[in-house]
Amino acid sequence: MINRIKTYFKIWQHFGKNEWQVTFVNRASNLLFMIGKIIRLSMSLLFLMLIRENVEVFAGYTSDEMVVFFLTYQIIDILSQTLYRGVYIFSNLVRSGEFDFLLTKPINPLFRALTGKPDINDFLFLFPNILISFYLLSSLELNITLISSLWYFALVLNALLIATALHIFVLVVGVLSTEVDGVIWIYRDLNYMGRFPVSIYMEPLRFALFFLVPIGMMTTIPTEVLLGIAPTYSISIAFLVGIGSLILSLKTWNWALKKYSSTGS
Amino acid sequence: MSKYITLLKLSWQNGLVYRTSVIMWRFRQFLKTLMSLTVWTVIFASNANAFNYTQDSMITYIFLVSFLQSMIIASALNGLAHRVYSGEISNHLIKPINIYAYFAVEEIADKAKNVGFLLVEVLILFLIFKPTIILPSMFIFLVFLIWSLLGMILNFIISLLFGSFGFWSPDTWGPRFLFFMIINFTAGSLFPLDILPSVIQKVLYLTPFPYLSFVQIQLFLGKFNNQEVFTHSIVLLFWLGLLGSFAS
Repeated sequence: MINRIKTYFKIWQHFGKNEWQVTFVNRASNLLFMIGKIIRLSMSLLFLMLIRENVEVFAGYTSDEMVVFFLTYQIIDILSQTLYRGVYIFSNLVRSGEFDFLLTKPINPLFRALTGKPDINDFLFLFPNILISFYLLSSLELNITLISSLWYFALVLNALLIATALHIFVLVVGVLSTEVDGVIWIYRDLNYMGRFPVSIYMEPLRFALFFLVPIGMMTTIPTEVLLGIAPTYSISIAFLVGIGSLILSLKTWNWALKKYSSTGS
Repeated sequence: MSKYITLLKLSWQNGLVYRTSVIMWRFRQFLKTLMSLTVWTVIFASNANAFNYTQDSMITYIFLVSFLQSMIIASALNGLAHRVYSGEISNHLIKPINIYAYFAVEEIADKAKNVGFLLVEVLILFLIFKPTIILPSMFIFLVFLIWSLLGMILNFIISLLFGSFGFWSPDTWGPRFLFFMIINFTAGSLFPLDILPSVIQKVLYLTPFPYLSFVQIQLFLGKFNNQEVFTHSIVLLFWLGLLGSFAS
């Protein structure tokens, strides 16, 4: 098992090196991407700061707590984009027939489809994000304990499990219909709603964001636990949703592979 | 003229070939508006006034942003740079049609498609939030319609200029992404620009981007006096003239 993990890590490093080279071939384009991402982050932070200055309470949360919700969303989003950018081009692999070649290779096709194209831009963007997050956290009036920080860390890992599961579900849609683009962007938009506590949304959207596309379990619950607020759903439910969604997604992937009929020509 | 009507029909049909994609795209627009409405409703639940906006004026702002996003900013020319670089544009250049008219027809078909979906989305959001929409006088409404039309033409010209990147570079997605980010912010799609510090507002007014929806909404909300309406009309025409001359 350990040897297998080492092999896959080595393969992933190769994916990363290849993408690193591709990124630096298209330097100008990637620079524009980076500027775009900086503008987007700056505007979101600016908006949060304006809310912080002008609004004292937001749905029962203080404005400082709102900033933590946003930072949690931001970190989880960038981490999952860095790891799973390959999902965005998966429909091309299916349509062109390239996915057939991946199926014949001696590595797991799911691993290749999920992690085959790490996003170097997001990887580079992660470091300033972490710095900004720590700077902002140090400037906020929060009551964070060591225990709540440890739970937060565990719940962020759980959030990455959920993100992995959701990306696998998108791949399943890609295998069955090749219609990945719309689905992944809907996921991004739903995830974007997690910048704010999911409990602010009305039912049945709130229920959907906690259990169908569990964005709330990814961002709202960890942040509430970190801030020492009673979580909307218990921590055990969050872990249950995390592990359950991953198992379900893997089973669905295996089922979808059996339905895959190849390009056929 | 008949060939352009035929083109319009073809563009309309082309736009609806991948129906699932279209519906998913509209669903995304719906989600964005839903999120904005929820966030601002929550803010106003504990504050009667915020950022010099009342709840009614802010809700009206969001509905108008949603409308103008689909009517002005959404464009069929988003893929133009790629069409230029890939050589696809050559197919159009050898045909006995005016290339600008061809693009304009594509744009009209795209916007007509958006209107259909938009009516359904707005109706659903209306039923959910039951907002009180602020309505302007008939004169202001007419000016709003004219400015919106001019905004569409301005975005068409800006999209043409961005599309011309394809003549020089194969990397068309980078500039496009940056363009989207700039537009999203500077047109007031994320939040009203007048909640920003005045220095940033002044800088933004030196660009044509606020004329892609922000000034139209401010006009609708009655935030401009007659002098400002006149000034913004002149500036809007100035940008159209300047960028139009670059594009041609």
